[in-house]
Formats: sequence, C-alpha cells, structure tokens
Amino acid sequence: MKILFHSLFVLLMCGAFTTSSALDFGQQLRDKLKEQLPEKVRGVAEALGETSQADEIAIGRQIAGNLLGAAPLVNDAGLQQYVNRVGRWVANQSERPDLPWHFGVIESSDVNAFAAPGGYVFVTRGLYALLQNEAELAGVLAHEVGHVIRKHHLKILQKSRLLDIGSQALAKQVSNNDKVQKLIGSGAEITARSLDQNAEFEADRVAVVLTARAGYDAFGLPSVLQQIGHYAADDSNVTLLFKTHPHPDARLQKLDVAMGDRFDTVKGLTLAKRLYRVKP
Amino acid sequence: MKNIGIGLLLLGLFAAPAIAAKAKVVAASTESGSALKADDIKVEPFRDAKTVGSLSSGDKVEILSKDGGWLNVKSSKGSGWVRMLSIRKAGSGKATDNAGGLLALASGRAGTGKVVATTGIRGLSEEELKTAQFNAEQLTLAESYSVSSAQAQQFAAQGKLKARTMDYLQEGAK
Repeated sequence: MKILFHSLFVLLMCGAFTTSSALDFGQQLRDKLKEQLPEKVRGVAEALGETSQADEIAIGRQIAGNLLGAAPLVNDAGLQQYVNRVGRWVANQSERPDLPWHFGVIESSDVNAFAAPGGYVFVTRGLYALLQNEAELAGVLAHEVGHVIRKHHLKILQKSRLLDIGSQALAKQVSNNDKVQKLIGSGAEITARSLDQNAEFEADRVAVVLTARAGYDAFGLPSVLQQIGHYAADDSNVTLLFKTHPHPDARLQKLDVAMGDRFDTVKGLTLAKRLYRVKP
Repeated sequence: MKNIGIGLLLLGLFAAPAIAAKAKVVAASTESGSALKADDIKVEPFRDAKTVGSLSSGDKVEILSKDGGWLNVKSSKGSGWVRMLSIRKAGSGKATDNAGGLLALASGRAGTGKVVATTGIRGLSEEELKTAQFNAEQLTLAESYSVSSAQAQQFAAQGKLKARTMDYLQEGAK
C-alpha cells in the first residue's frame, strides 16, 4: 500500500503541474475524500486548499536547499549577482514583485532550469552556456517566474499531500476503498501524461509577456527553445524527459498561436554585450 | 520518511523541467532551417512590408540574421524576412555530445566523491537527486546574492531597459 502511494506520488511529481482538467480532478478527488474521511482529517484536507505565503516560501526554501545539495552554485559571485539583477527586474513586472526572489546558476551540464515555490529560480550552467544575450536569459528566468507566480509546483504539492492524508485515513478507516483508489490511479495517470504540458505552455506565455514588459526582446525565450529543440531530438538521454514533456517545437507552435502578430511591432533590447560570460 | 518525500519531490521537479534538453556543442557557422508552415517572405521585418515571396511548409532556408521576432533568410523562394516562429532551426555542422564528465571535472563536481559521469552526458543523475542533502551553506550563499527591487531598477536603467505595460496572453488568442 505504502509503495503504491509512493509510486503514485512519483507519477504525480513527474507529471508535475496543473491544468484546468487537473483542477477539476483535484476538486473531484477532494470531494470524494471528504465524503469518506472522518471529521478530523476532513478539516486538514480542507486546510490544504490554501497555503500561506510564509508556508510557500518555507516549502520553496527546503526544495532549493536540497537542489543545491545535489548541484551547488557555480563559484562565480559576479555571475550570481548578474542573474539576480536580471531575474529580479523580470519578476518585478509580475503581480508578485514582493516575493523574496532568488536566482542562481548551478553546476550541471544538463540544459535545464528549475523553480521552487516562494521565488527560488535556478538555471544550470549547461543552459546558461547556450545563451546568446541578456534577453534570452530574461526569457528563461521569466518562464520560471511564471511557474512561481502561477503556483504550479505548489498546487502539485497540495495535491500530493492530500493523497498522503487520504492514504493514512483510508488505511485506518475504510476497508472498501476501491473507488478512491481507482480515482487516484486514473488521475495520476492523467497527470503524468499531460498536465505538465499545459503548465509549461502557460509559463511560456507568461514569459514572453514579462520579458516584453521588462523592455527586452520578447523573443528571447523562443530563441532558446529553437536552439535546444533541434539538438535534443536525437539524444537518447532525453527520451524519457521528452516523453512527459512538450517538445520545444510544440511549445514554439503554441507560442506562435498565442502571440499571433501582437509582438511584431513590439521591439525590445537584446543586450548581447551585457551578457555575463561564465568561465568554462 | 521526510527524506524520501523530499527526494521524490526533487525527482519530480527534475523530471518535469521547465526547459529540458541535453547540451550539444555545435560548430558555429551559418544556420539553416526549414519552414514549419507556409508564410510570406517580407522585404523588411514588418508585417505590413512588401511580400517578396512565400515559403511552403518544409522549405529549406539559410538564416542570415535576426531582428526581434524576425529572421532574415535566403531560400529558393526568395530572400527576405520571415516570422521567426514560422521557422524551425536545424543544426549546422555535426552536433557532438557534450561530455558531461569532462564538464563536471572542469566545474569541480567530480571531486565531490559522487559519481557524475556514469550515465553519459547527464549532469544531474537521478541517484544524486534522490540522495540530495539539504545544503544550508549553499542556500545561505544563494540568498546572499539577492537584490532589491530598487537595485534591479537601477540595473535596468543602466541597460536602457524601459518597463512597459502589456496584458497576459490567452492560450489560443490571435
């Protein structure tokens, strides 16, 4: 039983992110659990619906600390200060400028970027090395800022914690839990397959707008996506990653539709000369 | 138990990255690409500029330069400016795997006693993430680089960046 729930948790986490259908499902599950849970647990489950900003930051801080345990910061104070300036300027354009935003570049040859609740954003050295100008950095950071302000990871956590409580309560209380188990099972499957994709598309849409609001060339993020899209395609090391994620080409197509011609006349700065060059 | 939870959480975050791909090192030369969809070739990088040709889906192009959301291309259908999102870039030259082990060595991570290169070019192994320990020192260091809103504003002004208003995009809005 425990193992089952752990693997469901993993599936959920792998799927990460939320969509409208995920929300619907979450609500369905919540209702279902409410029906079956004892009074005391029901209160906890309801309380999980909202997380205070202090809790959000505490959760993010824990995740960030663990991430840094796996991959420390690139030992270059100038670089770290630079990404914080760019990132903070971009985050200032969002509806959550008052979060204690932190940005960093971590030691990893992977091409990747991460966000944790409460305003923690990290890009890998591998991704940073691909950047051609400051607008591209702004675009990448803005995508992560998008995850934070739309609380994509936090929503996943809330859901998984709900599942945890459900498992304990059900193990103790209910012998006939087939219904709930079924619901969770199919729900996790949906999450693992496609929920992350819509959150990624949403973060992309947020990113181009925040980048443009900050005065940069809005096409910074699309440029990076174009670059990583091609080289990733034939790489067996990303087969699994791409299986659960939208391919950069798909993201570019979605952006194309969403952006339309709205950005054709919005000119911004790329600031190629100001991009901080990290030592190899 | 708590550790397992955190490990799984990290695993999840990594399995679902915002931008995920593997680094490839490409010899720098002229970039090529192909049209993702049919689109006009314009004489200038503007929507209202004169159309000098039109690309069909799959047409090969040579990318000469970039201006905002526009690419200056050369193709058998003509030369001029095409909307960037209508073009899929192709790799120029032969892409070679980025040697993760070498990079890790160069960055000092190989000295941590952790296995860094067993999975080829992976920079962060699943195992590393699973066993990741909270690093308070690194976290404090990371937080020390934080800048204030005012500092960011000053930095923006130095680069002549001007904030402007713009609504968020809808999913399928044209």
